[in-house]
Amino acid sequence: MSDIRTLRDADTGDLGVSASTVGIARDRRSAPLAEDSRLAIEIRGLVERGEMDEARERFGDLVAAHQRRASRIAYQYLRDAADADEAVQDAFVKVFSHITSYRETWPFEVWFTRILINGCLDRRKARARRDRRFVSNEVTDADQARVAGSGGSDGDPERTLLARERSARMAAAIDRLDGRQRTVFTLCHYGDCTPREISAMTGLNESTVRVHLFRAARKLRGLLGGKP
Amino acid sequence: MRLRGHHLHDDRLFECYLAERSGDPIDPPTAEHLADCPPCGTRYHDLVRVMDALRADGEAEADLIFTPERLRVQQQQIAKRVEHIGRPARVISFPGQFVRRTLTATTSRTAPRWVAAAAAAGLFIGVALGASYEWNGFIRSARQSLVRGADTARPTRLTPVATRGNHPPDVAADDAFLSDLEVALERPHTRELLAFDAFTPHVREVRDRR
Repeated sequence: MSDIRTLRDADTGDLGVSASTVGIARDRRSAPLAEDSRLAIEIRGLVERGEMDEARERFGDLVAAHQRRASRIAYQYLRDAADADEAVQDAFVKVFSHITSYRETWPFEVWFTRILINGCLDRRKARARRDRRFVSNEVTDADQARVAGSGGSDGDPERTLLARERSARMAAAIDRLDGRQRTVFTLCHYGDCTPREISAMTGLNESTVRVHLFRAARKLRGLLGGKP
Repeated sequence: MRLRGHHLHDDRLFECYLAERSGDPIDPPTAEHLADCPPCGTRYHDLVRVMDALRADGEAEADLIFTPERLRVQQQQIAKRVEHIGRPARVISFPGQFVRRTLTATTSRTAPRWVAAAAAAGLFIGVALGASYEWNGFIRSARQSLVRGADTARPTRLTPVATRGNHPPDVAADDAFLSDLEVALERPHTRELLAFDAFTPHVREVRDRR
């Protein structure tokens, strides 16, 4: 599948497959399959047999299981609600259209998150290209969405304002992280992934993942006013 | 164990945080140190507090945007997009309404078809009449010109025959005139060459000298 890239880009945090990833996948083979992985295999079988309607129905369960987490990751990565929405949709559509290439040696979560993150990276690159051409507005869609979203749910304007400021500061701080650090941090903190899982997703060595995580956390603490 | 002086390094503290989050056991000597050393314990708690706050803020922000309603809409959109995968491309039929209208239009146009045929016939007749009239005129004018030509040609042919024996100087004058005309025609028409031509003796002049 085209989304699983073999190259790594240090600037963008692009993902790739390495020997360590394959090793991790091999280790996981002995572990019992997760519920989502079993479901993915079932869908693959249905698609291969041509039972598309049944496959679509089962795929709905898979979407429901991963949708919230995927949206969190995509939003933290892109900082734009509409972009994140589209990225999540694209990732799920890609998963379904390439489900026959899914292998149980990979946990479904890892496979799906790789596709999602690669899609997010592509969108970030496209946005960066677009921003180079056009002058970006001060008030982005993300800001508007956040304002619209937070305004209605909370009655206290002071709390809303504080939350918005904190959110903007955090977004700016995360945006200043190095590409790989951002990927690793986002996956760990918003995707609930362990360093081992991130290692499988990104193709980075597990100890490298830990180093990136530590550096990202230290930098964020410094940027957000905590102790560096 | 990596220590900063007698205390734990920041990266070690972060390892403990990650281990605790993942549900993995903390390295026993490190756990022991954290329990026994109040400054390290405080630093560790600070780190955990900051990281948890970061995570909670991020999740809360994302959840505020991706409400259950929005997620439901997103799920429907995914289902709609997935619906088209694995199905052959849909062929859109030609608009039936338009076809029907065209068919009725052709049947109702039976009467105007006669009008078109009559117009075409009229045009054809008009063109044919015009052509025949022009042809008649051409023939008439050709006849007239032939008659006129015959009238003018006859006297010129007869006059010299009648006068040839009576006026021999006129014949010489005619020959001279025709010779001059011939010379004029043979003469170059380019102005630059006229001077050369004037110096060049002509056959006629040589013959006259003899």
